[in-house]
Amino acid sequence: MNDMRKLPAFNRREVLAGATGITLGAAFGAPVMAQGSRTLRVRFGSDISQLDPARIFQNENQSIASHIYNGLVQYDQRTNAIVPDLATSYEVSADGTVWTFKLRPNVTWHKNYGAFTSDDVKFSFERVLDPATGSLYRGQLAGLKEIQTPDPLTVRLVLDSANSGFLHKLCAFNQGWIVSRRAVTEIGERYSMNPIGTGPFMFDRWTAGSEVRLVANPSYFGGASTLTDVIFRIVRDETAAAIALENGELDIFYALQSPDVIDRLRRAQNITLLDRPANNTANLVLNTTMGPLRDVRVRRAMAHALNRKALIDGFFRGTKFEANSVLTSTFQELSEEGVPRYAYDPDRARALLREANVSNFRFEITTVGLNPFDRFPVPLANDLQQVGIQATVRVLERGAYVQARSSGNVQSCITAVVGPPDPDSPLVTLYHTRSHPPGLNTSRYDSADALLAEAARAPDLPGRKAVYNRLLRQTMDDLPVIPLYADRLFLAHGPTVQGFVQNSLFTVNVSPVSLRGA
Amino acid sequence: MVFYIARCAGQFAVALVGIVTVAFFLMRAIPGDPALYMLGDFATPEALATLRARLGLDLPVWQQYGIFLARALQGDLGMSVVTGEPALAEILASVPSSASLAVAGMAIAIAVGVPLGVIAAVRQGSVVDVAVMLIALLGISFPVFWVGITAILLLSHALGLFPALGATSEPGFWKGLHHLALPALVLGLSVAAYIARLTRSAMLEVLGQDHIRVARAMGVPEWRIVWKLALRNALVPVLAVIGVTFAWSLGNAILVEAVFSRPGLGSTILKAVLARDYQLLQAGVLVLAAAVVLLNTVLDLLYGAIDPRLRQQ
Repeated sequence: MNDMRKLPAFNRREVLAGATGITLGAAFGAPVMAQGSRTLRVRFGSDISQLDPARIFQNENQSIASHIYNGLVQYDQRTNAIVPDLATSYEVSADGTVWTFKLRPNVTWHKNYGAFTSDDVKFSFERVLDPATGSLYRGQLAGLKEIQTPDPLTVRLVLDSANSGFLHKLCAFNQGWIVSRRAVTEIGERYSMNPIGTGPFMFDRWTAGSEVRLVANPSYFGGASTLTDVIFRIVRDETAAAIALENGELDIFYALQSPDVIDRLRRAQNITLLDRPANNTANLVLNTTMGPLRDVRVRRAMAHALNRKALIDGFFRGTKFEANSVLTSTFQELSEEGVPRYAYDPDRARALLREANVSNFRFEITTVGLNPFDRFPVPLANDLQQVGIQATVRVLERGAYVQARSSGNVQSCITAVVGPPDPDSPLVTLYHTRSHPPGLNTSRYDSADALLAEAARAPDLPGRKAVYNRLLRQTMDDLPVIPLYADRLFLAHGPTVQGFVQNSLFTVNVSPVSLRGA
Repeated sequence: MVFYIARCAGQFAVALVGIVTVAFFLMRAIPGDPALYMLGDFATPEALATLRARLGLDLPVWQQYGIFLARALQGDLGMSVVTGEPALAEILASVPSSASLAVAGMAIAIAVGVPLGVIAAVRQGSVVDVAVMLIALLGISFPVFWVGITAILLLSHALGLFPALGATSEPGFWKGLHHLALPALVLGLSVAAYIARLTRSAMLEVLGQDHIRVARAMGVPEWRIVWKLALRNALVPVLAVIGVTFAWSLGNAILVEAVFSRPGLGSTILKAVLARDYQLLQAGVLVLAAAVVLLNTVLDLLYGAIDPRLRQQ
């Protein structure tokens, strides 16, 4: 932790600033009009819906917001290490409860909303904490007792108890994104689609069902982008998007999922295909309060019955990774030492079911009618039938699915927790009692709270890593949740895109990108 | 005449209120909850209660309906639950895209379907007839998204004639038309298949009637008999289908819109249903219903123009 307190001086924004310096020279030499616009076109699979950090969810919204807003700190896109953003340095008191941040001077809000100060930080966090805001992320800042602003460039966060993972909650994502007090107050009800930030791009317009346009912020503190604007174009069909990318009608293909299209783009000329392990797994969440599922032997039998490798190699044609816990390789805190694994072993599954004296077990997997979640549970149900469990799959349209799941009245469901590389994101969401329905702890697991609190109290990264390891061992032993696969993110871009970095979130951020030959 | 217009306006209003009322209660009868949708994966009982109260979802349904109706009468269809933007504005923004696709598609459908149907009828049983009907059968049978992707692969990717994305935000009529061409072609040809079959059967029926036989006996030129006397009568049922299909393609060209990445009324309404965005859905249904009812009124007047017998009734 000590080595982290002095934030590393070097970050990608300075790389960006360096690159910008070179191109700016050229830009000043000729009128911008003569150069033409340097527009980057990015494919989105679906439309955006809201850009207010207190209520934001869904990858497309978060992708847009990541260009507009900054946090006190941010995840380095490449390494997931926490690096400076609006704060230049910070100190933690000896007892770990007072966090003091020095803020970057001369940062201004988009569209003449004035200077960024510590008061905006105070406003942003208090807004998330205020129950009237109805923020999804209130729980993330739960331990934050008081926010002091001794001067415009200093903000002091007082916690009710030490939390070594607190920096994760302040990273530029969701509740970590800082908003302007003046902008939120003045714009009011319609702020959600008229966001004001400090980031490299400003919100220009949203054409419903069609596209979102951002324009470069010329006074961005990290140096203005060499792009003039970015258009996020909604192209629902993946094949059409692939052809548009090959034709040069698009520059970046985001949210690439279909194995067929991935194959096609891998073979295409002049297309760069990127992939990276994601922060999330897809899981079968078992309701540990219902029927035979109360018996841990039955849950283990199911894990042995599921041929998860065949699912990955066959159904997904190798476009996913195996998962041994709900944390993936992208988390700095991951340690899988001693965590129980469940190999595909139908005989062992049958033996465990006999031992638990279970017969005629009717088991239903509830899942959402979105590709691929509506289809991959089918081979899994088949695996379960092979060992004598009468498994069926119930596919619900998303609205009905969310309602069924949040009622808690399902035997099992398919859940993927997409979020930042903060281990609390999947662990609290899936295992903490505070996430019992309507939250995502549909298994109603109740033995993780103490360990999660202990991880927060641990003094440093190795300490937290050790506690999380114990938690993974315990939860994979109790098995309220069976991880099915670890997600893998695919993305493709055309020949003119330079400097793009793919992150392990389910978002796309083009801030460091420039266009070759434009 | 005043009476006629008043009657039309009255029917129009009753139809709209009826459709919107059905949509209002149907939407609330299906499982799902906008507050849950918006809170996503992090719903807590407390956040749910706050949001439901803010959206007015904690009131009884009949009370919500009363509020909705009272506001709608003042022209206020509310804000989209999800985006906080005016619902009507978002719906109206998607109308030009839908309308241009429907108009262009219908123009292609008529230009291709009617002549093919006539030729097939005149040459009944010939190779031309069999070929036209076979192509029409294929046109009806192939799903439009398959035809769409094939068209993109062939005409956009292999031949480079049209862009793969069927819409653009760049200004310029010709540019817009260039982007519109491929989706309009795909939509138009699928409808042309229906129109060709229908025109053929209507023409066959008319060509066998007495007045045609009389005209032939009187030595009226054959082209005049076919394209003027017979076609005019055969067009009445065809026109009915064109009207229905046009209304259909305004709201239901969702697959074409999806394949060609176009915004549209149908896609927006679908999105509203999926997100349980009640306000947006209500605005969408209202606009779509108004368009369909209006279209039918115009069609009624057109029948009169084509068939004098209907005018007298």
